[in-house]
Amino acid sequence: MATPPRPLDATLHGVVDYTMGTFLMSMFPKLAGIQGTRSARQIRLAGAIHAGYSALTDYPLGAVKTLPYKAHLGLDAVGAIALAATPFVTGQHRQGTRQWLPHVALCVAELSSLLITDPTGRGDYHGNVEAVRRANSIAPSSKLRDGGPAVRRPAAA
Amino acid sequence: MSKVATVTVLGPREEVERLWHELAAERGADLQASFRTAPGDRGTEIRVEVPGAPSNPVGQAVKKLSGDDPLAKAKDELRRFKQLFETGVIARSDGSPDGPAVERQLKQRPAQPLEQPERQKAGV
Amino acid sequence: MRANVWSGRNTVQVENVPDPKILNDRDAIVKISSTAICGSDLHLYDGYVPTMKRGDILGHEFMGEVVEVGKGVGTLAVGDRVVVPFPIACGNCWSCKHELYSVCENSNPNAGIAEKMFGHPTAGIFGYSHITGGYAGGQAEYARVPYADVGPFKIEDDLTDEQVLFLSDIFPTGYMGADFCQITGGDTIAVFGAGPVGQFAIASAVMLGAERVIAVDEYDYRLQMATARAGATDAINFRENADVVEQLKELTGGRGPDAVIDAVGMEAVSGHGVVQAVDRVKQAARIESDRGAALRDAIMACRPGGIVSVIGVYGGLMDKFPTGAFMNKGLTLRSGQCHVQRYIKPLYERIRKGDIDPSFVVTHRLELGQAPDGYETFKHKQDDCVKVVLKP
Repeated sequence: MATPPRPLDATLHGVVDYTMGTFLMSMFPKLAGIQGTRSARQIRLAGAIHAGYSALTDYPLGAVKTLPYKAHLGLDAVGAIALAATPFVTGQHRQGTRQWLPHVALCVAELSSLLITDPTGRGDYHGNVEAVRRANSIAPSSKLRDGGPAVRRPAAA
Repeated sequence: MSKVATVTVLGPREEVERLWHELAAERGADLQASFRTAPGDRGTEIRVEVPGAPSNPVGQAVKKLSGDDPLAKAKDELRRFKQLFETGVIARSDGSPDGPAVERQLKQRPAQPLEQPERQKAGV
Repeated sequence: MRANVWSGRNTVQVENVPDPKILNDRDAIVKISSTAICGSDLHLYDGYVPTMKRGDILGHEFMGEVVEVGKGVGTLAVGDRVVVPFPIACGNCWSCKHELYSVCENSNPNAGIAEKMFGHPTAGIFGYSHITGGYAGGQAEYARVPYADVGPFKIEDDLTDEQVLFLSDIFPTGYMGADFCQITGGDTIAVFGAGPVGQFAIASAVMLGAERVIAVDEYDYRLQMATARAGATDAINFRENADVVEQLKELTGGRGPDAVIDAVGMEAVSGHGVVQAVDRVKQAARIESDRGAALRDAIMACRPGGIVSVIGVYGGLMDKFPTGAFMNKGLTLRSGQCHVQRYIKPLYERIRKGDIDPSFVVTHRLELGQAPDGYETFKHKQDDCVKVVLKP
């Protein structure tokens, strides 16, 4: 029985990255009612960093493809946890729910999206390529190259 | 508020009318048909008016979903007649072993061969 | 018998199902010797085609031996070796008489469903959802073939299965795509998509006299097959440079190809990440059924006054069709599910004469029981996979 596929592939994950990054930098603080506070600055910075390293990631929506995709996913996880930890490290959590709840909520959202992200970058392949290779009586790469043209050009009129 | 079901059958008008009346007994519904020769080589147009379709959208939708839609049934009968006239057989698939039937559209069998009891029920 | 059935998105299973029986006088039963997985099967596998039911037998490219004939079939005898065209056509209606077999007016018992989606019903097809009739497909040990006096084509020569199997679908489909281009000597044809249908479109363009044939795809191994075996003169990998329109102009002195064949269809991939992402999201949310990236590029790339020939399969609606480019450049758009019955005899003659050996596309030959692995390997382009043939 095949495991349920992880629907968020590299392209869709990129969509989420940029959308969330932009959203965090722009509308989120106002909507969460933390505008002007330290929390807002922390979340804006998190959004900026996230969008920044996304643009440097080697995946379909990266602008400069240098950061490996798996490293990006690692940063996502570490960054999410760091964001959640920030209010407790700085002590600002004592100033009210609004000063730590958004951070934790964003962390949970990020980790959830990672759970449904396919890390291999090659889609949810659940076939057995070794079994296929053993059973196949043809050498596929030879069909690509050998044997010359399989079609004849028409004789010149 | 009546509606029209129509189909074009590839054949001369006299032959089409003759078979239509021969098959009157086997049809699922009593349909009043008019016939007209289609332009060019296209055959004969058959036109059936279906009276009494419900005039409100909710009523219409309910009837359609329960398969009790006189217009859809008329269209089915016209399709079946066209198939019989042109090909000699009703188109039967594994999803729709009875041929065109509006009740079947929402309740398809899976597309795999029928077992013997199912074949008997479908009359094949 | 054993058959490969659809069991949900990304899942097929080989199961035991009843053997098919004659239902109509014009039916025949074929014992299948070879069958294949088609690129359009992947649209069913990926869950993009509605009206699939668990248990539907897939497969519409098959051939084998006639084992039973209905009373009304005079053209076939038990023991005949036949290739079966994928569109089911009655041969009697106006459309069939005008060789438009894939829009036969009589062969789809679910015409009501098809009419809602397309405005008019089209022909029944083996193993291709209930929109096309809910017919059991050919990835199985046996199949019931309706209108057996019209469809099945007798093979009387000593050719192998793999040399003639593709007369059922992909060879005539590629050929029709090239035929639509009205090729005259000196033409440059671009083929989008170097999958099996694209390979045959390229080969057909060569056979029909095109001077240059440019293959466009994202996989180097498929472009290699296109140039080394199918006769393409140039190749463009749009992963290296996403601007296909520009590269085609460069290759043609700025003129653009005289015709473009779209052998890609509704799951098109764009080299532009943003376009691809937006299309994927819309398709996943089911607000856009068809990704039109290849068709858009085809219309932009084609030279003014040229022809865009669409043989890739589409199902519903795409967003942002370039009507301005289409109209102002005076393009001709031609399309269709292949009218296989029209082409099968002349293409068989070409195989017999040695003009083409269609078996070049086969990279994988597996047992029917391995269909699930076959689908996965084909879908994800693993192991240099181009075409998978299954032996029941």
